Amino acid sequence: MAKKAQLRRVNPKKVDTCKQATALILDYLTGELDPRMALLFEEHLMVCPDCVSFLNSYKETIKFTRSLSYENIPPDMKKRIRRFLRDNFR
Amino acid sequence: MTKKELSGKGQLSGEDERLLIQRVKAGDQKAFEAIFNHYVSRVYRQAFKFVGNEADAEDVVQDVFLLVYRKANSFLGKSEFSTWLYRLTANAALTKLRQRKKQKEVSLDEYLPKFRKDGHHLVRPVVDWTQDVDKFVAIKEYSQIIKEAMEKLSPMDKAVVVMSDMEEMSNPEISATLGITVQAVKARLHRARLFLRGKFTAQLGYSPT
Repeated sequence: MAKKAQLRRVNPKKVDTCKQATALILDYLTGELDPRMALLFEEHLMVCPDCVSFLNSYKETIKFTRSLSYENIPPDMKKRIRRFLRDNFR
Repeated sequence: MTKKELSGKGQLSGEDERLLIQRVKAGDQKAFEAIFNHYVSRVYRQAFKFVGNEADAEDVVQDVFLLVYRKANSFLGKSEFSTWLYRLTANAALTKLRQRKKQKEVSLDEYLPKFRKDGHHLVRPVVDWTQDVDKFVAIKEYSQIIKEAMEKLSPMDKAVVVMSDMEEMSNPEISATLGITVQAVKARLHRARLFLRGKFTAQLGYSPT
């Protein structure tokens, strides 16, 4: 009985709630959800505009993080590190 | 090997790199210089993503190249040299992050989604700000908001986000680099992303939950 209940939790017949849907986002975006679960997730999205909004903002946040840019090493610093290393190798 | 390659300005072939590493193992400083010149910019950028400022990134770069020189013999060639170097960088950067004076603890929970008893979003409607985000924040500000929010993450959570969302590494690669399970990588990544999303959403004036 307990095992059946556990199976239902892991592998529900429906993604009824936003809480369930939110927990699936990461695997959904990497294509790691099994096809049946992916379908259940998408069915939830069709009836839940809140989760569509949430998913959009989750994806946009990843996009922002991905687009962060960083400067190259300042030439002075490169010289300083080279000098430090030489001093430490003596 | 040409002078250009030794200066780090040319492309190193796999064979050249293998030979250089053998020479570094034998204590050849010229070969070490060539490896340094070739990789220093990359290591600096990687370190900066973790530590978020020049001074700490400089310390990490120093530590990494000291390790390369002293521990070159522990590189057995089972992986790419660049992969080994990345692991050294990630670990040195994590150590640096952990050494930092603990900032006032920020509860991530405040910015994570919350749900009603029936499992639906607590605050509805959830606003889709992605269509008109430009109205609220100038493009330059996006990165500042995200960078500041990332500083609130624990060192390990930050490392996972850097590797996944900035370096675009796979979960198994992150797991191998950090020595935690793939499941743990995914759990940390999801929670950290939910937090970043919540912080950004709050910054726009909406409920993060």
